[in-house]
Amino acid sequence: MKKYLFLILAAVLVLSACGGFQIGDSEGSNASEEDSASGETEGSDAEGSNGEKVTLDFWSFWGSEQRRPVIDKIIEDFNSSQDEIEVQHTYVPWGDIWTKNLAAIAAGDPPDVIINDINTVKLRAQEGQMEPITEFVDSDVENRFYDQMTEATMYEDEMYALPFNTDTQILFYNKDLFEEAGLDPEDPPSTWAELEEYAAQLDVEEGGSYERIGFYPLIGAGSDVWMMNALGENYISPEGDVKIDTEPVHDTFNWILEQKNKYGENTITSINSQFENAQQDPFMAGNIGMMVQNANYYVQLRDFGQDINFGVAPLPEKEEGNGHTSWGGGFVAEIPKGAKDPEASYKFIEFLTNHDSQLYWAENNFDLVAHQEAGNSAAESEEFSEAGREVYSLMVENMDNTLLTPQPLVAPDFASTVNPTFESIISESTTVEAGLEKAQSDLERIVENNR
Amino acid sequence: MYNSNRMKFWRAFNLVLLIVGSLFMIAPLFWMISIALKSMEEIYRGEFTFIPQDIQFSNFVEIFEIAPFFTYFINTSVITVLVVLANVFVNAFIAYGFAKINFKGREVLFIFVLSTMMLPGFITLIPQYVIFAELGLVNTYYPLVLPSFFGSAFNIFLLRQFFKGVPSSMIEAARMEGANHFQIFFKIALPMIKPALFTVAIFSFNGVWNDFLGPLLYLNDESLYTLQLGLQVFKEQSSTQWNYLMAGSLLVLMPVIILFFFFQKYFIQGSNILGQTDEK
Amino acid sequence: MYKKKENLYGYIFILPWIIGFLGLTLGPLLFSLVGSFTNYNVTSQMDFVGFANYKEMFMYDDLFWTSLYNTLYFVAFSVPLTTIAAILISTLMNQDIPGMRIFRTIYYLPAILSGVGVYLLWMQLLDPSTGLINQFLALFGIDGPNWLFDAEWAKPSLIMMKLWSAGGSMLLYLAAMQGVSKTLYEAAIMDGATRVQMFFRITLPMVTPIIFFDIVTSTIGSFQIFQEAYVMSADNAGAPENSLLFYNLYMWIKAFNVFDMGYAMAMSWILFIIVLILTIINFKFARRWVHYEGD
Repeated sequence: MKKYLFLILAAVLVLSACGGFQIGDSEGSNASEEDSASGETEGSDAEGSNGEKVTLDFWSFWGSEQRRPVIDKIIEDFNSSQDEIEVQHTYVPWGDIWTKNLAAIAAGDPPDVIINDINTVKLRAQEGQMEPITEFVDSDVENRFYDQMTEATMYEDEMYALPFNTDTQILFYNKDLFEEAGLDPEDPPSTWAELEEYAAQLDVEEGGSYERIGFYPLIGAGSDVWMMNALGENYISPEGDVKIDTEPVHDTFNWILEQKNKYGENTITSINSQFENAQQDPFMAGNIGMMVQNANYYVQLRDFGQDINFGVAPLPEKEEGNGHTSWGGGFVAEIPKGAKDPEASYKFIEFLTNHDSQLYWAENNFDLVAHQEAGNSAAESEEFSEAGREVYSLMVENMDNTLLTPQPLVAPDFASTVNPTFESIISESTTVEAGLEKAQSDLERIVENNR
Repeated sequence: MYNSNRMKFWRAFNLVLLIVGSLFMIAPLFWMISIALKSMEEIYRGEFTFIPQDIQFSNFVEIFEIAPFFTYFINTSVITVLVVLANVFVNAFIAYGFAKINFKGREVLFIFVLSTMMLPGFITLIPQYVIFAELGLVNTYYPLVLPSFFGSAFNIFLLRQFFKGVPSSMIEAARMEGANHFQIFFKIALPMIKPALFTVAIFSFNGVWNDFLGPLLYLNDESLYTLQLGLQVFKEQSSTQWNYLMAGSLLVLMPVIILFFFFQKYFIQGSNILGQTDEK
Repeated sequence: MYKKKENLYGYIFILPWIIGFLGLTLGPLLFSLVGSFTNYNVTSQMDFVGFANYKEMFMYDDLFWTSLYNTLYFVAFSVPLTTIAAILISTLMNQDIPGMRIFRTIYYLPAILSGVGVYLLWMQLLDPSTGLINQFLALFGIDGPNWLFDAEWAKPSLIMMKLWSAGGSMLLYLAAMQGVSKTLYEAAIMDGATRVQMFFRITLPMVTPIIFFDIVTSTIGSFQIFQEAYVMSADNAGAPENSLLFYNLYMWIKAFNVFDMGYAMAMSWILFIIVLILTIINFKFARRWVHYEGD
């Protein structure tokens, strides 16, 4: 018994020294006062109507050694640029940050600013999870972003967030392998037919199995990207028009299957799984000659690629004149419903998306930022290597062809309905014709129901 | 009686079985260690080698520069110690009631206890969060610790099974002699299920130490974060720092492994039914 | 008089649980029951819609049935297999040979290695080309399957992973085996019983309360398989071809991806009823085979 008593006593001692059991006010503002207590006298944080600072809680998932210092620097700049608002940054793990946010909104005690996914803004606006910001936004701010990004933040004529960064899918190819195969490393393929042709030259086949494959559409990109590339738009429009059972989509799947059957299921799975599991990188290892990837992939090549000699190009088009349509996502800064001072929050998100902050972010993280001018400046930035500038310029140019895919409100869960069907077409457990017909009618039914 | 040849065969067979089994069990751990010691360049290059070509012990040091893992360690320890203590004593108390006291409505209430396990946690997660928010306890350790003082179905059920093994005749006899149930609980029943108490302790240690969702939801202040939250900094939307993640995970695992290794002698004494001669 | 006192004692002993249940659990439980009859979306709406959620689920939602099938498949295989594996492992571990503590630690290791990190690790072990498992199979000339990338093999992959961590419940059985008196074994040996006989006649009956416990709790737990599927399916949504779309994963998608919390709550109550019925059946049958030493 004595032993346990001692244990409990020890625990109590540790507790008394530990902040986790102090009940503070749930606004979270007292913590910052403690942190910054060094320069402040007792009286300065007393309730005075003038000179009282607002403390804003800002949640992001940027906790890595690469991103954290960058966002912290921007926040520091904001805090010292004025003396009314103090922003306090909390890192919350990727993905789970939004579960936490939802619970906090439900309890009426959300953060003041959060970073969230751009393609779901409309849905969250509809569900009443965020504060509209239209009244604060002036046209200068509204026009600083790429049009499709601004559009993605609109719901029923109100703006709900400011875009922060985006990304776009481009073609990466291995120049050394090009040369080895007798291809011109400065002339990447620009149509699907050329892709196939180049791929055939890059393939290295030995005894019926492939040592290296030239190209396979579904490595690095999903079938949805190729559907968009073929259609020039998403296969479901915001209004709920479904374009799955159409010729371009049929062509897309037939084309993918053709490639798949050339290489064989096992070759494809083997390379694809390596990407999915992120255990190793077949492109860096030289096992694949060309692939479509999010342009940010450049950072991995730069940091871990050990001087791999690569080139980049826009996504090839289905046939000449069809358009190099690509796809992108991105993030916004937004104000959760029930935040204590939306106007102050807005001042901060405006600062996050201004030219200087965005340029600083771009130069240090290589993300394509939402601020067009800042993106243009970054494309010429001295901070990047020549290769870096080349990739960044392509990202900026590619935005002309890049679609965002805001979740259509008439079928928010369209993906879980049609993706399995697309997967079974690819695995050939159903035919292209039957699969696309099913996907088309499944999705139409959902749209019908939700209307 | 067994002849010695057969005995030898059994012992050898046994040992081979144990060793082969262990290899399967431990392989993932070696894999983790292997990744933890590699550089990211080597991981991406993808030439499969179990022993890294260029061993980076520095990974284990560098992770401390990225996140304050020592603080997280203290925080996690505080929560864990409290929850484990509460779990062992409170659940034993409740379980004794369900196992050894014949009160009205016992069976129905016990189904109620079990039913709390049957609804997925994330359905009740938001309303529960709202309760703690109303109590002003968000961003403290109370939501993580307090519930363990009210028992948990899994542990209550487990300890009930063990208390049921305590002979009722013994309890009856003690009652006749005038002992009340508290005395019986502390003096007779509790000591008899010591192995089970250690089991609960180890299970709950493991559970709390690795808990992710609780700390994620309830802690807003990074200085209060736990180890499992800290490990997440190595994972981002586009890339994962595999070597750091594995190095960090290994460090987080260590205390649990050590604890189990040393604690088991308090509650597991092997028996000799498979024919070993007594080595002691 | 005596009976009355027993009642009072009983309630005093379970009082902590009652307080916790009334204070922390019952509210959210009832809330989710009420919510299942509404279009609750967590933040802005909660209008009564009658049985609409339940009707949609049973009559129109194919994915609901898919997820239920996947879950039943998983439960049907993983519960018996892991239970048997745990008993066998514990029997092995319940010996007194030098180095046993190390073996026990190693066999318990998989239970300690839990959480997201382990699932990521398993994804790598199961990698069709570079994974340890297929490389091991290749040693014997076996061309291993594509595991998580093949709709046929995805669920067996998860079951295999569960089996690997069966050593977790070894603790329970070991604790129970401590209670088996050594004199029982000694007497059996005197009577010339074989090891197999001793296992079936002595060890097994003595640990039935724990087998029962293990079956009930792992059934409840397996019905709620979620994180494994969430992490290990390529799109976090049950890929390939919905083979990993388990009940709770689908519920999660409804609740937190499209904010149809009312629907998710309705789903959770259907699951609740299924599991409750199975548990009650388990308890009814238990009388026939579970042997409590103290009764």
